[in-house]
Amino acid sequence: MSEIDDLVAKVASQLGAQVNQSSSSSNTDTDNTSSLPSKELDASDYPLYKKHPDLVKSASGEDLKDITFDNVLNNKIGPKDLRIAPNTLRMQGQIAKNAGRAAIQRNMQRAAELTKIPDARLLEMYGALRPYRSTKQELLDIADELLNKYNAKVCSNWFKEAADNYETRKKLKGDN
Amino acid sequence: MKRQKRFEMLEKRPIHQDGFVKEWPSEGLVAMMGPNDPKPSIKIENGVVTELDGKKREDFDLIDSYIAEYGIVLDNAEKVMAMDSTKIANMLVDPNVSRKDVIKVTLSLTPAKAEEVISKLNFGEMIMAVQKMRARRTPATQAHVTNVRDNPVLIAADAADAAQRGFPELETTTAVARYAPFNAISLLVGAQTGRPGVLSQCSVEEATELNLGMKGFTAYAETISVYGTDQVFTDGDDTPWSKGFLASCYASRGLKMRFTSGSGSEVMMGYTEGKSMLYLESRCIFITKASGVQGLQNGGVSCIGIPGAVPSGIRSVLGENLLCMMMDIECASGCDQSFSHSDMRRTERMIGQFVAGTDYISSGYSSTPNYDNTFAGSNTDAYDYDDYYIMERDLAVNGGIHPVNEQDIIKIRSKAAHAIQAVFDQLGLPKITDEEVEAATYANSSKDMPDRNMVEDMKAAQELLDRGITAIDIVKALNDSDFKDVAQAVLNLQKQKVCGDFLQTSSIFDKNWNIISAVNNPNDYQGPGTGYRLQNDKDEWERIKDVPFAMDPGHMQF
Repeated sequence: MSEIDDLVAKVASQLGAQVNQSSSSSNTDTDNTSSLPSKELDASDYPLYKKHPDLVKSASGEDLKDITFDNVLNNKIGPKDLRIAPNTLRMQGQIAKNAGRAAIQRNMQRAAELTKIPDARLLEMYGALRPYRSTKQELLDIADELLNKYNAKVCSNWFKEAADNYETRKKLKGDN
Repeated sequence: MKRQKRFEMLEKRPIHQDGFVKEWPSEGLVAMMGPNDPKPSIKIENGVVTELDGKKREDFDLIDSYIAEYGIVLDNAEKVMAMDSTKIANMLVDPNVSRKDVIKVTLSLTPAKAEEVISKLNFGEMIMAVQKMRARRTPATQAHVTNVRDNPVLIAADAADAAQRGFPELETTTAVARYAPFNAISLLVGAQTGRPGVLSQCSVEEATELNLGMKGFTAYAETISVYGTDQVFTDGDDTPWSKGFLASCYASRGLKMRFTSGSGSEVMMGYTEGKSMLYLESRCIFITKASGVQGLQNGGVSCIGIPGAVPSGIRSVLGENLLCMMMDIECASGCDQSFSHSDMRRTERMIGQFVAGTDYISSGYSSTPNYDNTFAGSNTDAYDYDDYYIMERDLAVNGGIHPVNEQDIIKIRSKAAHAIQAVFDQLGLPKITDEEVEAATYANSSKDMPDRNMVEDMKAAQELLDRGITAIDIVKALNDSDFKDVAQAVLNLQKQKVCGDFLQTSSIFDKNWNIISAVNNPNDYQGPGTGYRLQNDKDEWERIKDVPFAMDPGHMQF
């Protein structure tokens, strides 16, 4: 699946890496797959907390070492600084795959894409995938949103695939 | 008929209150290898599965399509499917074949073939296989922490109590749904007081559960149910694609999660398509694998009464745990629902998982008396603690918990009750009185607790969400009221969510936040002298040996 990361990185750079300027002023560091270590991580790099704390930043770009008790009390660290970053999920995905669990990497891949979607919107997207909730077009619209607004290519395809399968197996709005 | 007196006596035994039924395959009342279960098969053309277990691609239902797309390692599939099922079963049992080599085969099976492999094993062989196939080397177990009145002080005290006994994961749920935010934070504070590093969850409706996790009130989720027929999946208000997406939502917020399934749920919900329980459960396990979820809670779970009622059902339930492990997935192996009136049979229910050791032998052991268990009671409860410790001691088995000293428990319960009192105070939630703290410290059940104003509590619990309170506010509240160590532990948990190490298979933490998972603690059992041995885990063996009610012959007075 790392080719997907490469592709995402390429597309992102072609678009000037500015496709994801959404809610937070998230610096592109945490989102840019080219900042992943050049060599894929494996079980010997695990746990990241002990072995590679330097590689871990929060989604807001804070270094792991700066997430301290004092910084929480001084309000330098808030809830938004306690979110996992897409690249951390990609690194955990590499570790899972190289420990023999490629399916987990695919999940982490989707998860990495979902990190930048606000909580409320994410819950709505999940709701839209439940049976009989959406028309085919509504699912395809979310697929477009995932791709165009959040650069979430794998998840966009997930919605397209669901739309096709729901149509065949009668799980769209009105089929019940 | 004139009654024979011994038969009359036997009918009065507790076992006669349990329900038993004869097999009825057309309604799915058969444990495994039912007459309507499909014959194993796979056809792959240009990397696409065109036939799965006797069904052509155009006839696939949603579950078939999902498994065909994501659930099977295709490279090896045709070769593995041609292997004799008895031979694969033999590899599972044979200590000379490594877990890794078995996994290479089992990941390429189809659901029907996997069921067939399991059916070749007797109960003793299943224990042998589970011992080798569970993902994590060190076994563990999980607790339920609930009470019928959703009393937050008691939840905190009971959580600390359970954490001290050694449960690395604690699960709560609600009697009244609107209490969920209170139960979640009470469990969080109690767990981190009892033993830093203990993971906690609050089992409620899917979207609410995710929301609690996003706020940092919980560390993981488990009751994300999947089902073996399309109709039941739809009735459960999900599809494989919605559940797979939900799995990714959890991971995107740094939360550990596992799915839930179990034999009997399709019978219970009335759509088995005439298939056996183990075949349908096999499909659930493949859906979990396909979703890239690290773990599964299975083994009958809340429907255990149904497999428990048919011949070979309890054997089949251990078989479904084993099947989960064969897919290289964390297994929380059920034993979590009261289903028998017979103490002998309750022991039978868990003996396979207990002797072999699983990632979580029980998914949950009731840490309270079953009266207070709002999951409708567990197979083992707080009143079984001493029996359970003695079983561990007698058989030299690590069942995941250990004996505790009464004074230590009083101390930790008191601290947890005080900590949640302080959090409520700092966050402006309804007052927890000193009387309540004292009662929770010494309580056996919620009957020992003073009444609270539940209407006021529920209102405040909802407001807690509306006010945007997060785990950070709890950290500050604990710090401001001099529970710095608990505050630090709650923060450490949030920090681990940024790091994601505990998203890997079978993850738990020790008291110093060292991760113990299938990645850095892989099961390496390969016969005598290998794998996890309690006697080599010296600290835990000392704790288990040291039951407070054992006599010390060196200090006996005659």
